[in-house]
Amino acid sequence: MRQLTEEETKTMLSKLANYCGRNINNLIVGSDDSDPSVFRLHGNRVYYLKSSLANLSTAIPRANLLTLGTCLGKFTKGGAFRIHITALDIIAPVCRYKAFIKDNGVMPFLYGGNCVKAHIGRWSDDVPELAGVVVVDMHDNPLGFGISKVSSAASKNIAPTDTVIFSQADIGQYLREEDTLFTT
Amino acid sequence: MAPTKGSAKPKPDSHKGKTISSGTKISKKGVKRPPPKEVKSKARTEPSQQKKTKKRAYTEAELDLPKLNAITPVGVVNPKGRKKGKVFVDDKEGMATILAMVNAEKEGQIESKMMRARQLEEIREAKLKEAEARQAQKKSKLEEAKDSIRNKKKGNTGDDTKAKGNSTKTQSQAKGKRKSVSFA
Repeated sequence: MRQLTEEETKTMLSKLANYCGRNINNLIVGSDDSDPSVFRLHGNRVYYLKSSLANLSTAIPRANLLTLGTCLGKFTKGGAFRIHITALDIIAPVCRYKAFIKDNGVMPFLYGGNCVKAHIGRWSDDVPELAGVVVVDMHDNPLGFGISKVSSAASKNIAPTDTVIFSQADIGQYLREEDTLFTT
Repeated sequence: MAPTKGSAKPKPDSHKGKTISSGTKISKKGVKRPPPKEVKSKARTEPSQQKKTKKRAYTEAELDLPKLNAITPVGVVNPKGRKKGKVFVDDKEGMATILAMVNAEKEGQIESKMMRARQLEEIREAKLKEAEARQAQKKSKLEEAKDSIRNKKKGNTGDDTKAKGNSTKTQSQAKGKRKSVSFA
């Protein structure tokens, strides 16, 4: 488990900034100054954890350590960063754009489908196209995240069956991809 | 050379001794020996015999060759005096600078997206207005045409009888001149 290099940090933060916007500052600064949260790389996965916990991890041999903290995502061989569904709990409170989906749209989304316009209860007014959006149900429970296909202004003119949000990850993956989600 | 000759000599003696002890005669004539090889002694002055002098190998720098044009990949040449290995980011300042860069980049992207969306919206609205105006113009034209037809009809009810009477007269005159064909 090691710190991220400059390039890795930049790649990861720019990906997280898609969903969090300026609120990403809250992730790094955090509330507790004495024990701030840090990003750590183990294998090719990035974990978000308290620095005291990260310091303790040095006592464990690298081969013996499986996982520690919350997995945000992983670096691909090409150097890109992929956010995992496990990062949802960290992203959701600080997200920039939110889309509330109706009860009849929850299950289709949790099975990995995209969100159609008819399923969207309400969403932010100023969402541009291809922006990262956190999908929540009408009771504000985070369900996953996606990318807006059209801007919220342009979505007024489209048909109810047209896709509005492309699904990126949803909490259904905890069941669907149980065997691969935590393999390193 | 000399020791080989010496070792070759005692052989025939031992051979003789053997024949004596065993009592069997081996005719010398029967054994065919290979013709003696001529061994030429090499002169000391011969080039192969002389001690090899080490030729001096010149390095490229010593030869002062003109340098060829070549592309040096960016990643290959490491600046001297710099630490080898990865540069980690773990202090808050470094993180903050990277974050600021990422934020600025993302804000710019979102801003440009919003700008473009706004422009497109303006264009769309202008087009819509134009289409509406054209539709209204068409409608008014149609109404005018309808009104004119209605007016004509209304006008005909009063003055048409006179006009018609005149026209019938002229028509009858014209008809009288015309040749007519009738079938029995």
